[in-house]
Amino acid sequence: MSSAALEKTSGTAPNLGMEKRPDGPWKTAWKKFRINPFAVAGLVILAIFVVAAICAKWISPHDPTRIDMMFPNLPAGSKGHPLGTDELGRDILSRLLYSSRISLTVGFAVAIVSVFIGTLVGAFAGYFGGWVDTISMRFVDVMNSIPTLFLNILILAIFGSKMSYMILVLAFTSWMGVARLVRGTYLQLREMQYVEAAKATGVSNLGIIFRHLLRNASAPIIVTATLMVGGAILSESALSYLGLGVQTPDTSWGLMLSNAQEFMLTDPMQAVYPGLCILIVVLAVNFIGDGIRDGLDPRKTTIPQRRLAAWRKKFSKSGI
Amino acid sequence: MTEYLIRRILQSVLVLFLISILTFLMIHAAPGGPTQIFLAPGLSPEAAQIQAHNLGLDRPVPVQYAVWLGNLMQGDLGHTFKNHIPVGDILWPTVKNTMVLMGAAWLFSLLIAVPWGIYNSTSEYGLSDQTASFVSYIGFAMPTFWFGIILQEYFSLKLDWLPLSDMYTMGKEGNLGDLFMHLILPVSVLTLGFLAAYSKYSRASMLEVLSQDYIRTARAKGLKERRVIFRHALRNALIPIITILGLDLPILVSGAALTERVFNWPGMGRLFVDMAVAREYSVLMSITLVVSVIVVLGNLIADILYAIVDPRVQLGSKGGSST
Repeated sequence: MSSAALEKTSGTAPNLGMEKRPDGPWKTAWKKFRINPFAVAGLVILAIFVVAAICAKWISPHDPTRIDMMFPNLPAGSKGHPLGTDELGRDILSRLLYSSRISLTVGFAVAIVSVFIGTLVGAFAGYFGGWVDTISMRFVDVMNSIPTLFLNILILAIFGSKMSYMILVLAFTSWMGVARLVRGTYLQLREMQYVEAAKATGVSNLGIIFRHLLRNASAPIIVTATLMVGGAILSESALSYLGLGVQTPDTSWGLMLSNAQEFMLTDPMQAVYPGLCILIVVLAVNFIGDGIRDGLDPRKTTIPQRRLAAWRKKFSKSGI
Repeated sequence: MTEYLIRRILQSVLVLFLISILTFLMIHAAPGGPTQIFLAPGLSPEAAQIQAHNLGLDRPVPVQYAVWLGNLMQGDLGHTFKNHIPVGDILWPTVKNTMVLMGAAWLFSLLIAVPWGIYNSTSEYGLSDQTASFVSYIGFAMPTFWFGIILQEYFSLKLDWLPLSDMYTMGKEGNLGDLFMHLILPVSVLTLGFLAAYSKYSRASMLEVLSQDYIRTARAKGLKERRVIFRHALRNALIPIITILGLDLPILVSGAALTERVFNWPGMGRLFVDMAVAREYSVLMSITLVVSVIVVLGNLIADILYAIVDPRVQLGSKGGSST
């Protein structure tokens, strides 16, 4: 009611240039993101990889699974094979392109699923507190005490390696950070007056958790989700390298690396390309995540930290 | 202090207990159930039933868990499925080898990273600091095993300076010099990962301490900068690093497992992967438990050390009884 009244008064007020509202947090974040060279570069690189992954069918020169024993281990720059062929004569460029599909899918899917689990657990634990909180946080402790890679391998060994399993397994072993973070935010937010107001007007607990509080907790969740994509891509490549992830007709950068290691005497360059792809993609994703984090952080100014520090040094007399 | 110690130890035991239940249940949740896993394939249904009875697999799950835990307490980790070797016989030597690798990498990265981070905190955004942040970006984004493969290709195959893999050259088992040569590459791989994290932590922790009032006081009374850093700031800056070391143990263990695979290092991680491919579930369960014990113990020690070093930490709910 009061907000409606407020709108009315501001609407009828003389035009003092006040009708232009200040930018919301998301717009401010985008403005800061846009001038961050690393973040923008990351975004561009990631976009290139995503487009390449989607168009892999049309832009790859050969079928990635076609074995051609006439031309195994061709060096880079051979005719028709820009990056050469592997030990079975499969075209490396095509395999890299198709691998990016799997790696990116796994990366983003794992981030989404684990953020979903983590948010759910963290929100309930933080909002309700009491025994719900105790039990879920104990469970988080237990999960944190088993090294993730071992848990992943154990589960994949038991249930078998399928891509869908791998996404679920990786999500199941990486939601704890999000849960802790969301719980912390909810512990603070549930004491807010608007929660009390919502309760007084009869909003259900679920309504408060997902409609009122989730929005206010969304900034750190999004930052963690972005940074998680890189971690998931690394985990996927590690599992595939160990032979427990993606299986042979399919291909992934990790799997290509494990093949390349066997044949590194004959063709050492084979091991370089997939690793570079992983490095570049993860670096790009991490830059984007850092960019979003800095953008959403109101304390971060648009001036680079480095320049700020230089200024501070200039003006302080102690020279510290 | 005693009260805190007891409470913290009980907590760790509880976590370990829950981990053992989780691992046990996971094996039992496998498709086809434990009978599928623990019995030889291709048995007739009758023979399978008899063998299941002999192994106690037809009993209720809680009873099986109790029996398994009882055996575990007596140091009996079970037998491998193939060849029926006691798990302890193949597990304990690998634990020792992993400890050698992990310990070396841990020590080496600490020795480099902590001084580096502290130096960077005193010259913020200088060349060295920029390098550190570049290294940390690369370290966080690079697959460690790929770095290992590249190092192998360059230093062992191309230059032939260092051995390609394994822990000892054949016939030179126990030779320390040989061990050292074999350690260089895997330790470098592991170090890069930790260098990133540890130098960042020590820089941040040092910066926080340097912004505190007592440091300003120390500078105001005219102490030399060197003395402020080393006598006043350093001690307090090192305290949070202890906790980080404890918390990072799972990453260290996982990283070691991958590195062991790349360099064919006869450790727990390599054994774990081999056994996962061979589906030796009793070995997998044992290694998961051993690794968890290492992690939980590491955290416990870090917490206790933290409480000893930092008198500001409030121990226990009453607070008054502690120092």
